[in-house]
Amino acid sequence: MGILIRDILEESAKKFADIKAVKWLEKKEIHERSYSELMENVIAVRKGLQAEGFNGKHISLIGTSSVEWIESYLGIITGNTVAVPLDAGLPEEDLVDLVNRSDSEALFLSPKNQALLDGILANCPKIRKVWMLQEESTGVSSEKTASLAALKAAAGKCDSDTSIPSPDGVATIIFTSGTTGKSKGVMLTQNNLATNVVSVDYTTDPGSILLSVLPIHHAFCLVMDWLKGFSLGTTICINDSLLHMVKNMGIFKPEVMLMVPMMIETIYKRLASADAAIPKKVLADNVFGGNLKIIFTGGAHLDPFYIGEFAEYGVEVLEGYGMSECSPVISSNTPETHKAGSIGKPLPNAEIKFENGEILVKGSSVMKGYYQMPEETAETLKDGWLHTGDKGYMDEDGFMFINGRVKNLIILSNGENISPEEIENKLALDALVGEVIVTGEDNGLTARIYPDQDVVAAKELGEDAIKTALQAFLDNYNKNQPTYRQITGLVVRKNPFIRSSTKKIKRQEALIDEPLPMA
Amino acid sequence: MTKEMQFKTIVAQYCKVKPEDMANDMRFREDLGFSSLDFMSFLGELEDTFDIELEEEDALKVLTVGQALELLERL
Repeated sequence: MGILIRDILEESAKKFADIKAVKWLEKKEIHERSYSELMENVIAVRKGLQAEGFNGKHISLIGTSSVEWIESYLGIITGNTVAVPLDAGLPEEDLVDLVNRSDSEALFLSPKNQALLDGILANCPKIRKVWMLQEESTGVSSEKTASLAALKAAAGKCDSDTSIPSPDGVATIIFTSGTTGKSKGVMLTQNNLATNVVSVDYTTDPGSILLSVLPIHHAFCLVMDWLKGFSLGTTICINDSLLHMVKNMGIFKPEVMLMVPMMIETIYKRLASADAAIPKKVLADNVFGGNLKIIFTGGAHLDPFYIGEFAEYGVEVLEGYGMSECSPVISSNTPETHKAGSIGKPLPNAEIKFENGEILVKGSSVMKGYYQMPEETAETLKDGWLHTGDKGYMDEDGFMFINGRVKNLIILSNGENISPEEIENKLALDALVGEVIVTGEDNGLTARIYPDQDVVAAKELGEDAIKTALQAFLDNYNKNQPTYRQITGLVVRKNPFIRSSTKKIKRQEALIDEPLPMA
Repeated sequence: MTKEMQFKTIVAQYCKVKPEDMANDMRFREDLGFSSLDFMSFLGELEDTFDIELEEEDALKVLTVGQALELLERL
């Protein structure tokens, strides 16, 4: 037994047929799609995929939030295909690796990312078809490439709709940072996703406005903005750029938004720097658009200071907790039940226990495993209990709190989980880098580098020259990285890192820069 | 207020450095402590204040106060 996203979506399409499901800006004009129009397109995509012979196959998506992206995603997961949403900001070599490792046989590609097309076609041998996420002709001359309109037209060749997927079948594979430096594909089933959607205790009137500002390939945005939003009949407005988040709040006037803590911190700076003579209500209307009541936040811990500050502007901030492996929400504060500083109470479908302080979760939203990674799956899922890697506790009222981490991941306040090893491996390729450790501070990443002494001696480099050369190397590295993986701090060490008896660098002592004791 | 001072007043909203103490070679993220999102929000404010449209790709290449001022002068 189990439930399907397809059931949830079909019910919404019936109940909210004429309500606007999605609104977005194109050349400063608002465009919109109703629930019935959205459903028509979703069905056309899934029938098209069936007609083109992709039943049972994995299909990647590369692009930022767009109506075409979400219709394609829903077309994939409501049919008999598996969606693999990828971060469009990653370097090409990383995307090629993920397309290959996910065994994707087709790809939906945003026109903005068209530059990736040749590289993917050349280096991803399993890819048989690429559909550009645009209705009109693609202008790309390749027999493997077509427009979304062509895929929907192919649906006409199919008399019957696709069969109903199994609740236990994998619906989506979402890549997440691995502690060993290799990202892992989290396999989520239909039932994993659908039970997470229905278990989050939040409701609102159909047609309520939600502004989606998070990256759509993230589980938090995908499941809670989009799937949860559609289940409630919400009108989801797309933020076209983070440059315009505040402006778009003024245009769309959202009532609810999901944010990562970094967004709350940035907005607060604008509020706090305003002229104190401006009444808070006026300032709130200017910054939030005038209707915002609730911000749900997750992805990283939020300092409870902001909850009190935002309340003064009439906005309730509710923190939750989750991870891709749990589809993603595990616990959340709600408008009715909340405690500042906590991550709320567990969802009704999540059983919680603690082992040596680590939070363990069992329930219908816990993933099936990591794709093609049996060892990593066995390490994380033991007897059905998911080991979150976070330390926490539950108070006497049932509210959960986080107080540390078991795994070596850096959690930035933008919600991104960074594997330091993954970046260190790349930085270590420079000849001047002898040893490197990446740490997370002040919402950014710092590279702590001990220069290779042979190179320093051979080139007769002084302190300033070393710093200049390393900064130039980091600037160059940053150019090809998404902002959350860029190195914003550099510390040039005078001494090598302290190592354990097994010669591994002691990460917890990476900030100490002292001469090593004599052997 | 000059355009440069207007610009630096916006920068100062996101950091603890006063406009008059802001040097052109200061880096937004490393020296002024901007988060990646502070920088995006700041660019959005520049657009609104000076009624300009920035090419996101070009704007994100900016590292220092001086480079941002140059970009502003070019538009």
